Amino acid sequence: MALTIPSPQPTSQSPPFQLRRLPQDHYIDALRWLPQLSALHRHILLATFDSDTSSSSLQILTYTPSTPNSQPPNLPLQSSYPTSSRITSLKTLLTPQSPKPLIAASTISGSLLFLTADSVNGSLDFGFSVTEKGFHRGPISGIDASENGSLSVGEDGRINLVRIGNGEGGSFQRVFDSNGLVSYSAVKWASPFEFVTGGLGYSLHWWDQRRPGGPVSQFKGNWSSGATSGIVHSIDIHPSRKHTCLAGGSSGTVFAWDLRWQQQPIILSRAGTTDAYSPSESEVWEVQYDNYTHSSNTRNFSSSRVLPAMICSEDGILAVIEQNEVPMELLAEPCAVNSFDIDKQNPSDVICSLEWESIAILTRS
Amino acid sequence: MPGMTSDSGDQNNSLIPHSPNAQPITYPLHHGLKPPISRLSLSWARGNTLRVTVLRLPQPSSGGDEEAGGRVVEVKLSNNGDGELDDAQWRRIAYGSVTPFALLQSRKNSVSTLSKISSLDNREWWQYIMEYNKEINSLLGGPKLSPGFAIEDPKTVLKAVKKPTCLKAAWELMEIFYADQQSQSWIPERLLDWLADYNCLLSGTQPTVHSKLVDFQKELVAQQSVEDHPKYWEAISSAVAIGWLDIGVKLLRLHGSYDFDQLGSRETENGLVEAVAVLISKMPRLRPELEPDKLGECYKTKPDFMKAWEKWRAQITKLDCSGFWLQCEHHRTRDGLKSILQIMLGNSTGLSNATLQWMELYIAHFLYIRPFTSGLESMYNLAQKCMQIKPVSDHHKLTGLLIGILGENPEAVLVECSRSFGSWMMVHAGELLTAGNIQAELLLHEQRKLLGGICIEELNRLIYAQVLCSHALTWQIAPIYLSSCIKQGMGLLETVLCKQALQHNQILLKSLEICRLYELDSISSNIMKITGVHDWKHGKKGSGVFWLQQAQDEVRLNRIAKQLFDFVGKSVSDESFKQWEGLIELLGSESGSAGGLEFLNKYRDFRRSLHQVYSGMDTDAAKKAAEALISLMKNPSTPQRFWLPILFDSLKLFNWSERPLLNVSQTNLLLNKLQELSMAKLQPDFVDADLAPEALNSVRIAIATNLGRAILEE
Amino acid sequence: MEEREMEKAIVTLDKDSTCTAWNYNGQRLAAGSLNGTLAIYDSKDPASSSFTCTSRFKVHETGILKIVWVPPEFGDAVACICSDGSLSFWEEVVEDADIPQWKLCKCFDRNSSPVLDIHFGVFAACLKLVAAYSDGHVKVFEILDPLDLTNWQLQAEFNNAIESTSKFGGPSCLSATISWNPQRGEFQQSSFVLGFNSDTPQLNSSKVWEFDQDHQRWLPVAELALPEDKGDQVFAVAWAPNIGRPYEVIAVATCKGISIWHVGSNPDPNGRLSVERVALLSGHNGEVWQMEWDMSGMTLATTGGDGVVKLWQSNLNGAWQEQALFEPTC
Repeated sequence: MALTIPSPQPTSQSPPFQLRRLPQDHYIDALRWLPQLSALHRHILLATFDSDTSSSSLQILTYTPSTPNSQPPNLPLQSSYPTSSRITSLKTLLTPQSPKPLIAASTISGSLLFLTADSVNGSLDFGFSVTEKGFHRGPISGIDASENGSLSVGEDGRINLVRIGNGEGGSFQRVFDSNGLVSYSAVKWASPFEFVTGGLGYSLHWWDQRRPGGPVSQFKGNWSSGATSGIVHSIDIHPSRKHTCLAGGSSGTVFAWDLRWQQQPIILSRAGTTDAYSPSESEVWEVQYDNYTHSSNTRNFSSSRVLPAMICSEDGILAVIEQNEVPMELLAEPCAVNSFDIDKQNPSDVICSLEWESIAILTRS
Repeated sequence: MPGMTSDSGDQNNSLIPHSPNAQPITYPLHHGLKPPISRLSLSWARGNTLRVTVLRLPQPSSGGDEEAGGRVVEVKLSNNGDGELDDAQWRRIAYGSVTPFALLQSRKNSVSTLSKISSLDNREWWQYIMEYNKEINSLLGGPKLSPGFAIEDPKTVLKAVKKPTCLKAAWELMEIFYADQQSQSWIPERLLDWLADYNCLLSGTQPTVHSKLVDFQKELVAQQSVEDHPKYWEAISSAVAIGWLDIGVKLLRLHGSYDFDQLGSRETENGLVEAVAVLISKMPRLRPELEPDKLGECYKTKPDFMKAWEKWRAQITKLDCSGFWLQCEHHRTRDGLKSILQIMLGNSTGLSNATLQWMELYIAHFLYIRPFTSGLESMYNLAQKCMQIKPVSDHHKLTGLLIGILGENPEAVLVECSRSFGSWMMVHAGELLTAGNIQAELLLHEQRKLLGGICIEELNRLIYAQVLCSHALTWQIAPIYLSSCIKQGMGLLETVLCKQALQHNQILLKSLEICRLYELDSISSNIMKITGVHDWKHGKKGSGVFWLQQAQDEVRLNRIAKQLFDFVGKSVSDESFKQWEGLIELLGSESGSAGGLEFLNKYRDFRRSLHQVYSGMDTDAAKKAAEALISLMKNPSTPQRFWLPILFDSLKLFNWSERPLLNVSQTNLLLNKLQELSMAKLQPDFVDADLAPEALNSVRIAIATNLGRAILEE
Repeated sequence: MEEREMEKAIVTLDKDSTCTAWNYNGQRLAAGSLNGTLAIYDSKDPASSSFTCTSRFKVHETGILKIVWVPPEFGDAVACICSDGSLSFWEEVVEDADIPQWKLCKCFDRNSSPVLDIHFGVFAACLKLVAAYSDGHVKVFEILDPLDLTNWQLQAEFNNAIESTSKFGGPSCLSATISWNPQRGEFQQSSFVLGFNSDTPQLNSSKVWEFDQDHQRWLPVAELALPEDKGDQVFAVAWAPNIGRPYEVIAVATCKGISIWHVGSNPDPNGRLSVERVALLSGHNGEVWQMEWDMSGMTLATTGGDGVVKLWQSNLNGAWQEQALFEPTC
């Protein structure tokens, strides 16, 4: 929900970029770039929901970058795989063992699907799924996949790990179960043994599989005095700085939590405060470090400085934010920007899903 | 539905049907159950979706009869016009109209606050209206493609174009008459353009010039000497009559006399054909400009046009009287060309013969008889006249709309919009209608007691918002329209928000965002309350507490605190206490939070420090634990039932061998608490701690010992 | 009125189903059956309109006559009236087990007269329940702990008559109908409308009852019947949502048809509200079974003994008309 009077917050001039909006005739639950093997074949992965038939599916679309003067690209459908329920979170992974990217998708009914995609012809092949009764109760709210396996978390307070490969598909390991006393909304690997979960009250928990039984470190954002608190919706950790965890959530809040300075998070954005610019006043649905944007202040570029990050929000904002800098607004849509993805191989290209059954593709130059 | 509906509006064009015989429309409701049916029950679902439960009369069990006992049938009552567009197309239009509508509303508000000048004189105002009009129009379909030449094939007279929609055609009619101030002086020519774009839509049951040309084109491909066929000449006459000059000229140039082998023998004939073609293409037009591939010569002012028009007609008359006709041996050509000239001279019989529907005759009259027609009244009279000559056999929504406009009857316009195009059109076209039309503004803005004090404009917006709410993907744009309803919009929005599927996180957060934008705090807290109770009772205790805290629902939090203390009180061992850590962290340590839940946070800290004492013999750690104990016992939110267990856990602190950890006043505080506790035991609602009976005694002795040592020390 | 109508079967019910009820947001359906089993149907996601049965459990030995959902602020719970006149409350909770389970919270055994109808109202964080009994009594219960649906306290008991002193010799009621004022503001007076179908004329007519905070009692503030119709048996009442009208709208169905009443909001010195009957509609052939207002309070949907569904609306002149009729067919 957006369409507010433009916020008085300052935004810096964004560099020129090409933008295309493509209506889809169905709701986009999640989307990702598919890791590519050759520069010739680029694909977009969509999790869609068709409200007329109440059916959901995973779709691969072919993307052909267009020259500035050509017609907007159409995204021909390459393949489609129907899913039994709607997708809540989507991750892709390229492992050294296989040339085919792996897709992990969690559902609203609490199951986890694994598929492989052929990035040459854009076909989708079902791998295996975890649907056991004791896996999750209710929707899975966040997943993260790495070579170490696929982590999933939910409102039910469970953290599960599914190992990928070696043919042992389908079984899972319960890392923790809070029995609903704590609900989790996001998860992200930090290292082969460590990961971070996010949840209610702007909380972040740091876990180490070598020290099981509970989080090794906790953070709760208690800067919000009074009753209004919020939820962490998305977490990112930069491979070069595994000790710093970037989190985005309610009230336009984006903060970085450095394990070494545990109780002092760096607030990058938050509505209603004077010490940080906030491009959004609403839920920040996704955060990702943005490798494309180079820090504007290179002289001051130290290891304590948070790297630039992209966010999307319920009030229609897609922006790049940087510590102590004016945020750079890329999109200000009249409807929510529910998710986005930066192409890892072509970080100039960004796709995002809009509430009004459409996607937008940005090519920065 | 609900809506401004009128079933009898055809004759009296009244918004308010008053014929008592008007029969409601009957719809079948297919349930697929074997009779007998015993009962129905009703429930309104989202928006104006109605769910009907059809129950079968219970049957005595007859073995294999596993027939269902009933079925629920969902009926969507949303009026989206007559099915010209599918749901996905309507949604796309609905999404796209939000921004132009909202922008226009905010501009309207600023215009009405900044200046009270009549909006009619306001150039800026009309710019806003046209901007809005353009944005909406572009949603209704791509750029229009008029019938015209296809360069590739000389025998293709009409370009094959995607059939336009009546919705767009209707919108453009509204644009011509209500929005575009620039075109007021050349409305006949605009109607001509409009008919060129949408003539094909009128061919539903009756033929049109368009359908005639389409049919002729099919035959054309197979024909050799077209001029020998009467249909060829009819096609040219019809095209010229309604101003499709380019088509007329193109057809003329297919005349056999243009063929190379014929040129020598049919020179005069060819000259006459070409002369008519030139006259057609030089026709003066009272309009500022023409599209590049259209024919005619434009004149912006009436005097210029008048001069050209008279000169042009003189040329036609001169040609008509010319002696060359006698030398034309091809009789069909001679007669055909002569009748075209008659059309150009405004011969009313010729015009009537060349056209098929009244709208076409109407345009022909504008072009060749009354080019200066202006003002709605005379346009309306002319329309009536044309309808008499070419009577309408059935009601067409577009002509119905045009008659309403020409008849200066905004009621009829609205009824037609509602009936044929649905609630979206009512809301968005209403903005054009009221832009400068005082009559329409009065009609739409007058507050009506019978509507509960709202005006028709607000009613239309409420109805449209309800339609938007009927769909899971469009309900979120309803607030934009409801916020423009001064009297009842927020009331409806509150109802809409309270009926969302709140157990789904995304919907919950999106609903709360709408509450934030429209400052609906009590709805927001109610939504949080519903979520909190649901989560608390469905095994998500942390989330339940979180939402009840957000809702500041003290009553429920106090109840929850009691239950939580029960749970925590039971789990005395450190292992099971550990599972509460996450929830306790969430509760925070801020004092004054409802239910005294921050006690748990302090209690946790106390247990942690106590744990350190038990794992080592560090006096500093013990001192800290003693401080935590005192602060816990001083805290008024520490429940009485925890006092004894806390003191019992602290026995080691009281008996600290190195030195007494508590001073005299601190020890007295603890003794007072013990005293209070034994008094409370007499109360009926006292909850006894789960401790051995000698616990109290050992605590008392330990504290007394500490007191003794503290006194000695001081 | 040319409208495209989309009809779609969304739930198929068990054999011998007797009644259904949707919860507040139309995401859950409870269906009762002749053998006392209650079935719960859920949709798998909020935008979907396909429903599957998620629980089925036995409520009572006799058939279920009516199901009413408890307002959502008090949990996912239903109240069931069974054919022997008993009333029981069931709530869905997740305890130590992972799976949600329906538990009995409270059962009002049939030790007095059978319960005919019930309706819930929320007033200042307090849940209230009005129950009408076959002996013509009306009881108002409330819970004190908003998280505990087991502890119901009787708050008031009275007859549906204007004169509180009236004595009736053992009235016998066939059915009753109750509708709470759907408005729930913080400052909203707690009120409901109630009518009986009985052999005692004084009890029948629909009366609006309002809670008098100062004297802690329920008072009849309006009677929705013309003087000559006061003894008419009432089949159904429905209080329309009010999104901003200066008056309330209540529909009352009797043997004479469906009346639409406007009820003023300001009481006269006697504490009575002004009432005006603005329409008398032909209704249905036979008894009216149910009336439901849409969310804006502008359209009334009704069904009755003739087995059809009718939609009623007021036109711009304030004249109420039947707008559409739905006829169930195979």
